Order: sequence, then C-alpha cells, then structure tokens
Amino acid sequence: MQNNDGRAAFDEVFLPHLPEAYRLAQWLAGNASDAEDIVQEAALRAYRGIRNFGAVNARAWSLTIVRNTAFSWLTKNRPKTVVFMNDLSAAQQQELEHEGPHGTRIETPEEIAVFRADAEQVQKALAQLPVQFREVIVLREINQMNYRDIAEITNVPIGTVMSRLSRGRQLLTALLGDLKQ
Amino acid sequence: MTVASLRDSDELQLNAYCDGELDPVSANAFERRLASDQSLKARYDRLVSLRQAVRSLPQLDMPPGLQARIQSRLDAERPSPVRVLRQRSWSFQALAAAAVFGAVISSSAIITIERYSQREEVAREVVAGHIRSLLAPQPFDIASSDRHTVKPWFTARLPESPQVPDLTAQGFALLGGRVDVIGHDPVATIVYKHAAHTVSLTTLPPGQSVSEQTMAGYNVRSWSDAHFTYIAVSDLPSPDLATFERAFSAEVPAPEIK
Repeated sequence: MQNNDGRAAFDEVFLPHLPEAYRLAQWLAGNASDAEDIVQEAALRAYRGIRNFGAVNARAWSLTIVRNTAFSWLTKNRPKTVVFMNDLSAAQQQELEHEGPHGTRIETPEEIAVFRADAEQVQKALAQLPVQFREVIVLREINQMNYRDIAEITNVPIGTVMSRLSRGRQLLTALLGDLKQ
Repeated sequence: MTVASLRDSDELQLNAYCDGELDPVSANAFERRLASDQSLKARYDRLVSLRQAVRSLPQLDMPPGLQARIQSRLDAERPSPVRVLRQRSWSFQALAAAAVFGAVISSSAIITIERYSQREEVAREVVAGHIRSLLAPQPFDIASSDRHTVKPWFTARLPESPQVPDLTAQGFALLGGRVDVIGHDPVATIVYKHAAHTVSLTTLPPGQSVSEQTMAGYNVRSWSDAHFTYIAVSDLPSPDLATFERAFSAEVPAPEIK
C-alpha cells in the first residue's frame, strides 16, 4: 500500500516533468543516449526519495534530482569535463567567474553587433561552455526557470546564479565571435 | 568603485533586467539609463539577440519509449508480498478482522499525522523562504519603508493582500515585501528590521497557525485573525517575537469590512 502511494506520488510529481528533465540532461551530458541513462537513474532516485518531496515546487524538485544525477554521472564518466568550482583556488574562481573574455577593454557601441549566428553555431558554442555556466543558461533559457529556482536547483546563492549567468553569456558571446572568423 | 567593478555591476543589472528579475523601481531606473546610454543599449540588444538565439535552438524530443522503460524499471523495484503468505496458520476470519481493525486505526492515525505534517510542512516552507531571502542580495522584492508603496505592490500581485503597518515607533522598521510560494500559492511576506535582525512575516489564508517552535535556528511564532494566519520568522529571541506580534496586532485591529 505504501508502495502504491509512492508510485502515485511519483506519477504526480516527477512524471509530468519528464520531457523537460530529458532536455536538461541532454544539454548537460551532450548527447541523447547518455541523457536517457541519466533520466532513468534520476527517475529511480526520485521514486526512492519521493517521501522527501516537500510539496513546494515539483518542477524544481524534479529538475534538482536530474541535475544532481547528471553531475554525478559526469564526474564518474567524464571527470575531465567537470571542473568543479570548489576544486579551484580562490584566484582561479575569481578569474573564471568574473574576468571578461576581453579583459578590461571596453567595447565601443559600433563593435557590439547583434547576433546572426545560425543554430548549429549556437549549439556548438553552448556545448563548449564549462558545465557550471552551461547549466545556468540552459535552466534559464531552455527550461525558463527564474533565478530563485535556479539557485535552488544548482544549490548556490542567487548572487552566484546572477554572476554565472552574466559571465556565461559573455563567454558564449566571445565563443560565437570566434566561431564566425 | 573601480571602472571594472562598475562595469561588472552594469552587466549584472543588464542580465537581471533582461531576465525580468529587477524589482519595478530598479527596472524603471534601468530603462531610463538604457534610453540615454548608447553603449548600454547596444549591449542590451546583443544580449537580447543572444538569448533569442539560445531559446530558438531546436530541442530534442524525448525518445518515445523512455516513459515506458522508466515505468517498468519502477515495477521491478516493488518488493514482493512475501510476509502475508507466511501467516497462513492464522484463521482467515481473524486475519480479516485484524485487517479491518488495523485499517481503521491506521487510516485515522494517518489522517492525524498527515494534518500534523502538513502544518509542519507549512512552517518549514515559511522558514525556508526566510532563509532563502537572507541569502539573496536583499530579503525583499520591493524595498520600501513606505507602507503606501508596499501594500499596492502586494495588491497588484496577489488575490489577498494584508495590511502593511509601519512599526518603526515600536522598534520594527518596515523594510519592504516579497512574494513567497507556500504549497502552490503565492503569498505576501512583509519584511521588518529590528536592530540587526530581519523579521519575515508571511501571511497565509486563515486557519493554518503552526505551533511556536525553533526551526533551523530561527524562532517561529504564528497567530491568526479573521483574514489571515500570520507566521513570523526571525533569529530574534522568542520574547521579542511576542512583542512583535503585539505591536503588529495593535496596528492591524479589526479587519476592514469590504
């Protein structure tokens, strides 16, 4: 009986977000078959932990599990692609999070052009971003979460979400500039 | 402030503006700057086009069999009902009677426990909202010490908005307000400051008082009137929270008749 309850709760809480979960996993893992493994594993974790669901925000709760599953999957299977911020020195963190790709140079309005990159280039550039920047951009633009939910899912303060988004978009801008040439 | 950090905060504001995460007052100020600053406007346009490019990326659809594969994996998780089979030596009637009796007991117990845990859940969510607000750059969405700004801000966003008294004279200065989501419902939270302490006062539909308690190091105190249940969360000692309740209730006497 307890199990049926758990299953019903799982169907109600996690299942509706499956397509989104798959999308997030796909962007974090970089390909479809790994994304499927991650989503299956995440579903199992969600089912086992369904009692921990606090009835607040099913979507954020589900995506948190998918995100964490994806990160443990990446750490296990592609350790080199995951450079965790915590493993970096304070100076490296500062550099990665804050220093613009163009250093301190200030661009003139004429230099700042609107994007006309095609989808393939954007996809390629996004895939190249370090995963901690990629995840906030994907959560914001693809999953369309607000800052508060992104902070909850990625387990960092809102201030860090803001700086990662800003920095991630700068990096993406720079990558797209390079790809064009 | 150096040039670099100025640009940095510009960049953050620009991003927050594009993401719709600035409060109305800051958003308005930012729009005025956009209108007069050519370079900022160019960066804004580029950011908008970048966001557009990312948003319009083609998305892979979920493989058709994935949901079914997940379902069957979960089916395999279920433990088989071994224990019941071992009790064959019991007479069937006794077993049935016991089952009925057990079901009655446990269902009433479950209801009580559920009601209790729902209330606990409310307290936990309210405290979580308070903690989250302290982690954010500021603990409110609308900053104002003017009750005539905060009240309309709530009214514009929520079906039910509380009265917002300024309790500065009583030692609790009005800082502003924010919207918290409790359960699935957005509710008004008024934020006060007492010395270095922040008090979050979350307003729920009436009838949801929680017991006075300490949760995650924060004191929780709640009371109700005809329109709202109020839950105050703060790191203030509980006697001070009691003072806060008295001050607030004195300023919000009989609810207005609409």
